[in-house]
Amino acid sequence: MVAVRSRVDRLVAPTLRRHLLIALGAAAVLLLLSAQIGAYDDYNLTAVAIFAVAAAGLTLLTGLNGQLSLGHGALMAIGAYTASLLLKDHRQLPVIVVLLISVLSAGVIGIAFGYAAARLRGPYLAGATLTLAVALPQVATRYKSIFGGESGLTVPPSAPPDWLGADFPPERWLAWIALAAAVVTMLLLANLLRSAPGRAFKAVRDNEAAAALAGIDVARTQVLAFVISAACAGLAGALFAYWSGITSPAGFSLGLSLQLITAIVIGGLGSLAGAVWGSIVLVFVPLLTSGMASTVHLPSAVADNLPLAIYGGILVIAMLVAPHGIQGALRRILAIGRARWEYPPRGGQKGVVDWDDPAPGT
Amino acid sequence: MLEVNDLTVAYGPVVALHGVSLTVADGSMTAVLGANGAGKTTLVRTISGLTRPRGGSVRLDGRDITRLAPDEIARLGVAHVPQGQGVLAELTVDENLRLGGLWRRDPKGQRSALAEAYDLFPPLANRRHVAAFSLSGGERQMLSVGRALVARARVLLLDEPSLGLARLVLVQIMARIRALVTERGLTVLLIEQNAKSALSVADEGIVLHLGKVVARGRAQHLLSEERLRHAYLGF
Amino acid sequence: MSRFFVLTLSGLTQGAIYAAMALALVMIWRATKVINFAQGAMAMFTTYLALFAIDHGAPYWVAFAVAITSGLLLGAIIERVLVRPVESAPPLNVVILTLGLLLFLEALAPMAFGGQIRSFPPAFSIVGLHLGNSQVAFSPFDAFTLGAVLAVMVLLMLLFQKTNLGLRMRASAFNPEVSGLLGIRVGRMLTLGWALASLVGALAGVLIAPSLLLYPTFMDDVLVFGFTGAVIGGLDSAVGAVVGGLLMGFALSYVGGYFGSDLETVGALVILIAVLMVRPRGLFSLQRLRQV
Ligand SMILES: Nc1ncnc2c1ncn2[C@@H]1O[C@H](COP(=O)(O)OP(=O)(O)O)[C@@H](O)[C@H]1O
Ligand SMILES: [Mg+2]
Repeated sequence: MVAVRSRVDRLVAPTLRRHLLIALGAAAVLLLLSAQIGAYDDYNLTAVAIFAVAAAGLTLLTGLNGQLSLGHGALMAIGAYTASLLLKDHRQLPVIVVLLISVLSAGVIGIAFGYAAARLRGPYLAGATLTLAVALPQVATRYKSIFGGESGLTVPPSAPPDWLGADFPPERWLAWIALAAAVVTMLLLANLLRSAPGRAFKAVRDNEAAAALAGIDVARTQVLAFVISAACAGLAGALFAYWSGITSPAGFSLGLSLQLITAIVIGGLGSLAGAVWGSIVLVFVPLLTSGMASTVHLPSAVADNLPLAIYGGILVIAMLVAPHGIQGALRRILAIGRARWEYPPRGGQKGVVDWDDPAPGT
Repeated sequence: MLEVNDLTVAYGPVVALHGVSLTVADGSMTAVLGANGAGKTTLVRTISGLTRPRGGSVRLDGRDITRLAPDEIARLGVAHVPQGQGVLAELTVDENLRLGGLWRRDPKGQRSALAEAYDLFPPLANRRHVAAFSLSGGERQMLSVGRALVARARVLLLDEPSLGLARLVLVQIMARIRALVTERGLTVLLIEQNAKSALSVADEGIVLHLGKVVARGRAQHLLSEERLRHAYLGF
Repeated sequence: MSRFFVLTLSGLTQGAIYAAMALALVMIWRATKVINFAQGAMAMFTTYLALFAIDHGAPYWVAFAVAITSGLLLGAIIERVLVRPVESAPPLNVVILTLGLLLFLEALAPMAFGGQIRSFPPAFSIVGLHLGNSQVAFSPFDAFTLGAVLAVMVLLMLLFQKTNLGLRMRASAFNPEVSGLLGIRVGRMLTLGWALASLVGALAGVLIAPSLLLYPTFMDDVLVFGFTGAVIGGLDSAVGAVVGGLLMGFALSYVGGYFGSDLETVGALVILIAVLMVRPRGLFSLQRLRQV
């Protein structure tokens, strides 16, 4: 027992301590930030945190394990509906309990999806998850008595605890919850990626045959990645339910799934930091562009659609000029800076999703 | 005439060819010899435009073709039989062969070239309409070479055509190519691992070692160079 | 007339549309290994162009030609300008690029053509035909839809299987490097592949527009079901795309008819998963032997 303990200690302690320090630092900064800004910005900050949780899970699955999911919004919906159904009958349930049960339920359903997904590759998995994203909200529409149909389920807000004072803004309280969830998620995922399963994820992504030869159970690794990713999506979904105050099929359209996948690619595929960058882009670029569109006087058909056109245009141009996303661009800038002093820049990131067959042996 | 001048090619930090030069006269055959990794494949890939050189030039009949695209070079009459992997596995044998001659837009000539190829390789004639992926390794190699012959190119680049071929078939192919060299003035660059058999059909030979030319000369002469044979050619 | 017969007929017409969309996706997949998520939006845009022509007094057939040719051009332009530069980028980047294009086109259409929902005129009557003294749920326009899709498919098949151009296109799709060595202008072939695929998509757009209304996202479902059909059939097989698309048409029609239209997509999901669990690369996937 002790021997095992110390071995585990030796393996994880240094990086764990570093990640913990980073996490605590981030938490402190975010806490201060959330206290400085108004309710509206707290609301947007919460959105960033929610997307970051889901995007981090998707990064694990798609960026690091090479399984392309175009249906992560459906997994978020599972978390959101779990939370909403719990709160429908038990209004007073503590947030932490609601979040944990939502994580669990999405994770358990993720096992089933994970087994199916492990049999599929590249565009076939993309097709299956895409269809899932379209179909799942329909179930909620159909079974009105349980899921509330089109109009959905209302979610009671989580009231700030008394010790924060009577006039503590609920938006800030929710921001704290979401940020805490995001920080904890990142911390756990960062550690996971440094450990044996994390290395197995990447090994399977880079070359399934080689991973299998090295003794990795490819299918199990893929299922595990799917389950963890689904659990993250479940957490994000539950937070999303609190944030929007209502859980309805319209909230989990195909658009949400596609936004998540664009976030992780724009942010920089395969890194948790990229997931955060992508989430920031996802929340603030539309806000900025619609702000801009409303200041200039344009016909309404133009003004209404300009933000979307700009967002689509940004996606296209980003893929042409910054194929490795924001994180990739930052890395390059840092590497160039460092190269002046130390060593030549390293090569770019590798392509990470196994899309077609691996190249036949040469 | 094919001229390669001071060609340098690198894959990132790995320099595969260091200033290689060679000339193949019209109507002659030059063998390029060397161990695995010597840079032979890199040399022909650069000639046919698949790999971009870092320096140096490739000329065909005096015209600089260094920066042309592979398809432009092919349309100048350069046929490249790549090492392994040369056939279009999803297409039928017949389609593969036909593709060889499409660039010339000469349907009549194409039909006779196709018939010639089938004559030369009877196993292919029997399997005209099967997809190439169901062929054996040797049959694929026949297909690859046959397709280059259908192209009726002026310059033929053969990258280890012996791979997977039975000895008898190889001898047949070489005899055919030899005939084309003398009769039609075909220019051939032949890459081989088996130095002895390559030098016995070629006019000239060059030996590559770690990306550099370490020996060159008349094929007969190279064959008789004791020291060279021991050091680089392994027989 | 029996309910089953009615549902089968409407499934057939719907299926022809999905088959066209699936075929467009498969053609692009085979040529460039890209799933073109913007295919639906491109068809939406070309259908708006056709409506624009009608608004300016053009007869139906001119508008039809406008849709088809603008589809051809749009596909070519997009391949040359947007897809070619990301040829060697990681595959997911190209996915994001086509998603970006989808959003862009869906925003551009209302800016260019106005935001209101429009109806699109059919070429022929959409009233059911009379057989003897009973009316069937199959209109002259349905017949036209089926015939047009069928004609395009036959023409494409002839092009690919019987002509040298088609041979060049197939070779370029399978192995660009070797094709280049054979003197084929591979880039042109890929552009042409996108152009033809986009033409097929545009055809699906103008054919389905009269029965759906025209608005910026009106092709989204067609894209999703077309993609599902393509995946069911196997992305490497043109025949598979057609069969998969038709299958989707029938399945959605039956599920909608017998269980309610809000379960259509669930039905699609169930069929897709069932097929993929048995054949993970679709019904018509080539069991390709390893290359030596
Ligand atoms: N695509 C490539 N990327 C990196 N290095 C390569 C590549 N192709 C060849 N090389 C290297 O270049 C050198 C020459 O290879 P090659 O031309 O294939 O030799 P040969 O055909 O004589 O066996 C070798 O060291 C090989 O490892
Ligand atoms: Mg070689």
